[in-house]
Amino acid sequence: MALPGPLPTQRTRQREATRRRLIEAGLRVVADGGFAGASTAAIARATGKAHGTVFVHFPTRDALVAELVAEVGRTMSAQLAAAASGEPSLGAVLEAHLAALAAHEAVYARVLAEASTLPQAARAQVLALQSGIAFRLRAAWSRERARGAVRDLDPVALGNMWIALTNHYLMNRDLFAPGGSVITKCGAALATQFLDLVRT
Amino acid sequence: MGTELCRSCGSCGFPMRNPDDFAGGDPDAAYCSTCADASGALRPFDVVLQANAEYLVREQGIDLRAARSMANALLASMPAWQERR
Repeated sequence: MALPGPLPTQRTRQREATRRRLIEAGLRVVADGGFAGASTAAIARATGKAHGTVFVHFPTRDALVAELVAEVGRTMSAQLAAAASGEPSLGAVLEAHLAALAAHEAVYARVLAEASTLPQAARAQVLALQSGIAFRLRAAWSRERARGAVRDLDPVALGNMWIALTNHYLMNRDLFAPGGSVITKCGAALATQFLDLVRT
Repeated sequence: MGTELCRSCGSCGFPMRNPDDFAGGDPDAAYCSTCADASGALRPFDVVLQANAEYLVREQGIDLRAARSMANALLASMPAWQERR
C-alpha cells in the first residue's frame, strides 16, 4: 500500500485553489461567449484576480484553453466510465453519454463549434473523449450482436453515427432548443431513434 | 450502478475503473494496462504513442498519420510525459 505523501502547505493549497478558480471561471466565460471571447483578461476579471495571475498558473492562453478542454474531457470521461461500468447495454451507454453531455452542454457545444480554432492538445482531448464513447458503444454492440439483438454493422460507423448525431444537435442547440438544453429536450428521442436503427 | 468518478491514466487519460483497466490489474497503478507493463512501469514513448494512435484509428476510423499527430498532442499534455516537452 502506498504511504501517504506530505501534507500540502497552506501556500500550496492557496495556489491550487486559485488555479481551480481560474479553470471554473474560464469554463463559465467559454459557456457564455465561446473561446473567441475567452481572453486571459476576461478570465482574470471573472475571478477578480489581476491579469498576471493567469500566467502564474498557465504560461500561455493556449495552455489555459487546453486545460479547460482537458477538464471537460476528464470529467465527462470519468462520468461515462462510472455510469456505464460493468457490461452495460447499448441503451445504457447512450444514456450515460447523454447524461455526461447534459452536465457540460454549454461548454462542450462551444468546444465542438470552435474545434478547428483550438490548440491541437485541446482537439486531441475531444478526439480521445469521442474514442472513449465509441469504445464503449462497440463493446455494448458486440455483446448484443452475440445475442442477435443488433444489426451487423461496421462498428466504426456505429460510433461515428452516434457522435455525429449528438454533435449536430449540440452545435445547433440554439435552433433545436432555444434558451434551453437540447440534450434534455431531444436526447431521449435521439437515443430511441438510434436504437431503432441498430436493433434487429 | 455506481456514479463515483474514477481515476484516469497519467499517461493517456483513459478512465480506469475495472481492475483490468489498471497496469498489472493493480488498482494503485498510476497508468493503464495499455501504457504500462504488468509491473506498472511506463512503456517507451514510441510504443505508447503508436498504441494510442491505433486506438483512435480503430474507434473512429481517422487517418493513421492524423491519429499519430493527435496522440502526440494528447500525450504531451499528460503528467507522465511532461519531461519530453
